[in-house]
Amino acid sequence: MTTESPTILSAAVLDALGEIVGRDNLVYGPEELLVYECDAYTIEKQLPNVVVLPRNTAEVAAVVRLCAEHSLPIIPRGAGTSLSGTVLAVTGGVMIALTRMNRILQIDYRNRRALVEAGCVNAWITQAVKARGLFYAPDPSSQSACTIGGNVATNSGGPHTLKYGVTTNHVLGFEMVLPDGEVCWLGTRPEGGEDVAGFDLRGAFIGCEGMFGVVTRVLVGLSRAPQSFKTMMGVFESVDEASQAVSDIIAAGMVPGAMEMMDQLITQAVEAAYHFGFPLDAGAVLIIELDGLAAGLERQAARVIEICRANGAREVRLAKTEAERLELWKCRKRAFGAIGRLSPNFLTQDGVVPRSKLPEIMRFIRACSERQGLRIPNVFHAGDGNIHPLILYDERDPEQVRRALAAGHEILAKCVELGGSVSGEHGIGVEKIDFMAIQFTAADLAAMQMLRRVFDPGQRCNPHKMFPGSKRCSDFAPKKQAAA
Amino acid sequence: MKLQPQSLAELTVALAGAHARREAVAAIDLGALARVLEYHPEDLTITVEAGITLAALQNELGRHGQWLPVDPPGGDRLTVRDLIDHNPSGPRRFAHGTVRDHVIGLAAVRADGTLIHSGGKVVKNVAGYDLAKLLIGGGGSLGVVVEVTFKLRPLPELERFLALSCGSPEEAEARLDAIAGSELSLESLDLHGRAGAGTTELILVAGFAGAREDVAWQVAQAGLLGWTEESSLEYEACFWADPTPGQCVSVLPSRLISTVRQMPGIPFLARAGNGLVYHRGPAVPAAIAPGPLRLMQRLKETFDPHQILPAVLPPAAHTPRQ
Repeated sequence: MTTESPTILSAAVLDALGEIVGRDNLVYGPEELLVYECDAYTIEKQLPNVVVLPRNTAEVAAVVRLCAEHSLPIIPRGAGTSLSGTVLAVTGGVMIALTRMNRILQIDYRNRRALVEAGCVNAWITQAVKARGLFYAPDPSSQSACTIGGNVATNSGGPHTLKYGVTTNHVLGFEMVLPDGEVCWLGTRPEGGEDVAGFDLRGAFIGCEGMFGVVTRVLVGLSRAPQSFKTMMGVFESVDEASQAVSDIIAAGMVPGAMEMMDQLITQAVEAAYHFGFPLDAGAVLIIELDGLAAGLERQAARVIEICRANGAREVRLAKTEAERLELWKCRKRAFGAIGRLSPNFLTQDGVVPRSKLPEIMRFIRACSERQGLRIPNVFHAGDGNIHPLILYDERDPEQVRRALAAGHEILAKCVELGGSVSGEHGIGVEKIDFMAIQFTAADLAAMQMLRRVFDPGQRCNPHKMFPGSKRCSDFAPKKQAAA
Repeated sequence: MKLQPQSLAELTVALAGAHARREAVAAIDLGALARVLEYHPEDLTITVEAGITLAALQNELGRHGQWLPVDPPGGDRLTVRDLIDHNPSGPRRFAHGTVRDHVIGLAAVRADGTLIHSGGKVVKNVAGYDLAKLLIGGGGSLGVVVEVTFKLRPLPELERFLALSCGSPEEAEARLDAIAGSELSLESLDLHGRAGAGTTELILVAGFAGAREDVAWQVAQAGLLGWTEESSLEYEACFWADPTPGQCVSVLPSRLISTVRQMPGIPFLARAGNGLVYHRGPAVPAAIAPGPLRLMQRLKETFDPHQILPAVLPPAAHTPRQ
């Protein structure tokens, strides 16, 4: 580690940064810096020494070079919607926020590509191209705020992963600034063909959690928007039966765009808050959305309904209009909001299990809930096995805080044991550092460090993240946390 | 030196030895490491040893109505290790992408004999860096892949191909623009033939796959755009039957026709939807910009410092740092 103690920034360096980006584009007063003390993971907080808001690649490169000359940590930041402390300035340093580089530079309809600046908001791309029947596929829940640069850094997913893939499947190439200040284009160039000679540096970079350099411009692939949707909601006796329905749908050769499940506790909370008419004794509610060409969807929808009924669904609703479809989605989208009625605080996790292990992990979570004496409602992406257990607790009771953290640990460790992962979309950041050694061998972690040093020999870019042994912030008490 | 390990342990020991002696490994036969390790059809994932052939893999998946959606030329002879090392693709790349899009985890032995893993067995996973991308298309230069987990797709109920002969490059260009802008969701979009002085012969072939109703609707719609001749992938087999190795250029799909016009009289096969042209003209070496090339050289020095695995990068150019 190059910087173990808090970073000290001299007045001369501050002046030099001001000369590069203009004083108006520096944030350095303690009050103004508060916005940048954490991301959506609010358990750990730390102020950077300064935040710079560059307006173009040349400014980013000049800032990064200056930091290299003075051996200062750099922390690239998009909208700060990450959920694992990915953009936390652990020992301070120079935070480079890309939010003023947010333009869509070029849309190439014929070749289905768009070139955007790193600070461009994810949802803006789809908004810009949807009139021509296209969309940008990865749609994390924070898509109306999160930036494409941040999506590249964290390999963002969303509820449609099983069918449409994640960021690495849709970002063709990007311009980035290496930690020594050199500007490189990795992957497909805006004017170039999709195949690129040599090793796939683009792919190796995506998901690096901001540790390999600063992304400045991104070339994304655009996909044809589905012609039609069929959205259904099944009410089941149990999570096991709903899970079996999901397995049977896949076994029947269908890959729905989304399959979202809510267990009994969540269903009850949603019902109490919004009155969708769910039976309060229902064990699980499953939303299934088929998308694609209209011609084949009718028969597939009928088959899905048949499969749900065969698995004991007491009721299956099929949205007949777009308004009805949005109504079905509303109950899923409001699930997190409804939790506020159940508990003052909640801690969520982002584990993944192979889809067929969903009943087993749900049984484990129920047992864990009883053991720790805390309620744990569940809402999750059933299609890809990505779970979001919501561990309810009251932060005023230190014993509950301790038990909530213990429950989170037990659940993630079980995910790994079942062949899954400790993170489906939120990333490791500072939050899940301790789990890396559970999921990976020492040799795996060493190889990751070797890759990191190829990009950043000084390990100054977004330091103290991802790897066990990294420095932690002193402040450590869980607070309220959002989820995907 | 040639290796023919009978087990993973033998491979790690042999590579560690070659690394210590700084002895280049000319070939590795993974024929003994060819098992299906885990297959869960309901999860749409499979884990295999890298010596298994693509044919054996697809055969196993087909029994459950699934497939790995890659269709490289000569696929029957390729092993999963070939797929990882060279990331080859075929006509259905237009709908499904390449091998790179379907790998969710792998294990590889580094040049010094260390076994490493990346990813896992679940379709959504962002824990740790994506080391697998170093191996996929890496020419076996950074490690020897031994185990791969793929995500899978259901086999389509039906697949049909339609052809359209074009009298001129201009017509082909207009036909491609029209179908690219339509609502059709194609499985493949290829162009083959010869272009140039007097002998223009350009044939477009589009594939449609999925539920029977979807395919029927698409075929009817394509008919309205002038695509009426029932076809197959026979042209694909013909092009690759020629033992002369093909060259490949990758361009923007919108520049495909102007690219093939610059190859008068040379037979070619193009993935028109992806902008790839396979031809048997003179090879044009692919250039790598100095910045990325330096990173790639550093990767090679880091992961194979004694150069015992194949070298795939162009030699180091004298490009002083700015």
